[in-house]
Amino acid sequence: MNKVESLGTVITTDVLILGAGGAGLCAALKAKEQNVDVLLIDKMGIGWNGQVPIGGGILAYVYPEYAEKWAENVTRQSFFFNNQDWTYQLGKYMHKSTLDLADMGITFFRNKGELNILNWGPNIYVTLFDAPKSLVALKKTAKARGVKMMDKIYAIDLLKNGDTVVGAIGLGLTDGKTYLFNAKSVIVATGNCGYMHEKTYSSVLGEGAAMGYRAGAQLVNAEFSSSYVWGIKVLGKELMGIHFYLYLENARGEKIMGKYYPELMTGKHSVYTFDPRVIDAMQKEVKAGLGPIYINLTGLSDSEIAGLAEDQVEGLTHLMGNDTMKLLREKAGIDPSKERMEMWPRYLYSGGGLRIDINGMTTLDGLYAAGGASSNSWSGGGGGQGGLGVQSAAVTGFVAGENAAKYAGKAKLLDIDFNQAKNALDRVMAPMQQDGNTDAYDFAYRVHEAVVPMKYNRQREAGRMKEALGIVQDARNKLSRVGAKDFHDLARYHSAESMTIAAEFTYKAALMREESRAGHFREDFPHRDDKNWFKWITIEQKNGAPRLATLPVPLEKYKLQP
Amino acid sequence: MAIRNFYAEKCNGCGICVACCPMDVLRLDEKAKKAVVKYPKDCVACWGCESFCPRGCFDVTPERGRGELVSPY
Repeated sequence: MNKVESLGTVITTDVLILGAGGAGLCAALKAKEQNVDVLLIDKMGIGWNGQVPIGGGILAYVYPEYAEKWAENVTRQSFFFNNQDWTYQLGKYMHKSTLDLADMGITFFRNKGELNILNWGPNIYVTLFDAPKSLVALKKTAKARGVKMMDKIYAIDLLKNGDTVVGAIGLGLTDGKTYLFNAKSVIVATGNCGYMHEKTYSSVLGEGAAMGYRAGAQLVNAEFSSSYVWGIKVLGKELMGIHFYLYLENARGEKIMGKYYPELMTGKHSVYTFDPRVIDAMQKEVKAGLGPIYINLTGLSDSEIAGLAEDQVEGLTHLMGNDTMKLLREKAGIDPSKERMEMWPRYLYSGGGLRIDINGMTTLDGLYAAGGASSNSWSGGGGGQGGLGVQSAAVTGFVAGENAAKYAGKAKLLDIDFNQAKNALDRVMAPMQQDGNTDAYDFAYRVHEAVVPMKYNRQREAGRMKEALGIVQDARNKLSRVGAKDFHDLARYHSAESMTIAAEFTYKAALMREESRAGHFREDFPHRDDKNWFKWITIEQKNGAPRLATLPVPLEKYKLQP
Repeated sequence: MAIRNFYAEKCNGCGICVACCPMDVLRLDEKAKKAVVKYPKDCVACWGCESFCPRGCFDVTPERGRGELVSPY
């Protein structure tokens, strides 16, 4: 037994992928095309994890001949704040990625055999797919093509040899084994941080960004893309469906959306569950003393309610509007056709992630990232529409998979550095030595008090954000009292810690950005300030602490100029 | 309350609930070929197990196993 093997079970591969949601599976399938060994691991069961299976089954689509124009529109909407290289790549890739996903086994809504592209607004196109079964289909294809997989492995730190990433530490949740994965390249595809607040997105807790940060990779855009969704209070669950906004009313029974957005009340619009206009309207009404906000579907039949979810698709599994109505009846004892239901905004997830280049590579050698764990600034605040989360996961997954495999094809497998691995493992295992009786989850919920209230996270202001940071720090301090009895507990501990890191970075970057733009709104700096803030904020570990810096948007290198 | 009822007699140990649980609440008893609700307090009531179980073994209520929800306002 060599020294490293004394630390745990060593498994070697060419490309190691952490996280098997949409991005991870796409990365695995694309990497395998290069004929390298690919190992995909996940803390849950592969085929069922991530945000794709529980999402609405909407995939954004851009016609190839419109891709340039699409990228140009995003660029203008974002006031040139986007990474244009990535915007153009994403726009051009969407047609191919859609065909690739169909080829890899995902069931799409079709018309006479052809993919059915739906028009959901001015220049907004989507396709619909069978979300609940989509990743099981990709898994089947990946397995048939020789991708190796391991379920119920909780990855929590990266292994390095010098400055190069050479693998990851994984906790075997069911077998209790410690794994040391040794790879030529690693892709982090563990999603963003949902803080287990919006229930259905509870699997993503920020572990990827946290482990990348600890390894020395750079994060970017932590202050952007914090999103709220609107949901049914009693269920603690979002309400998916593009037409439900028409039925939102205040305590007096007045419809609220037309008050603020009259243009939405005529013609056909798709107002999806995380549309900021709905959250704005709800917040304004409550502030004016007209809350709470309700959804009033009384008098509508089940099929009429189901029809509000979106264009109904025969043959696709639905866990959306109609399923929610069933839950209301069976679980909360509410009949939606007879009584109105209270709605409130729910915090969905934080933004930012590991900064990636046009090839999906992070700032660390051997480390790639995709999906919610990565940040490529393609949007910069422009181009919002339903289905872009899935499409962006697919495209960043394909890009990272292809390039991580090419990298692995050329690189030599570097050994795990015993000392680095031992130090990382000592940190990971430390809560197992503690005798605490407190539970990590209690402190995880303390983080909600800092990230959920809109006074902290939506209408941002320096004093209040410092207060929120204080709550985060308190949660982190209390984590030191936690004792873990098994790997389940240990994983909960590290998830809670990852949540505190995500929240800390969001507020630190938001405090630094003394202006308002792209979903980051400061009451104390309410205007866009291109003179001082036409730059992205990066976060990197320096001497054990986060160091924030700025990176000017490299406009001179881009295609479009203001 | 979260997982209010788990009907073990219907379970055939297919493992889908274990795979889809985001909170690692469920485990598989390999010998008995049954799912086990091992960490009930950690359930966030996402309805994954209830939605995906092919045999209707789960009854999940809206409340989480722990953690009061903070108001957004």
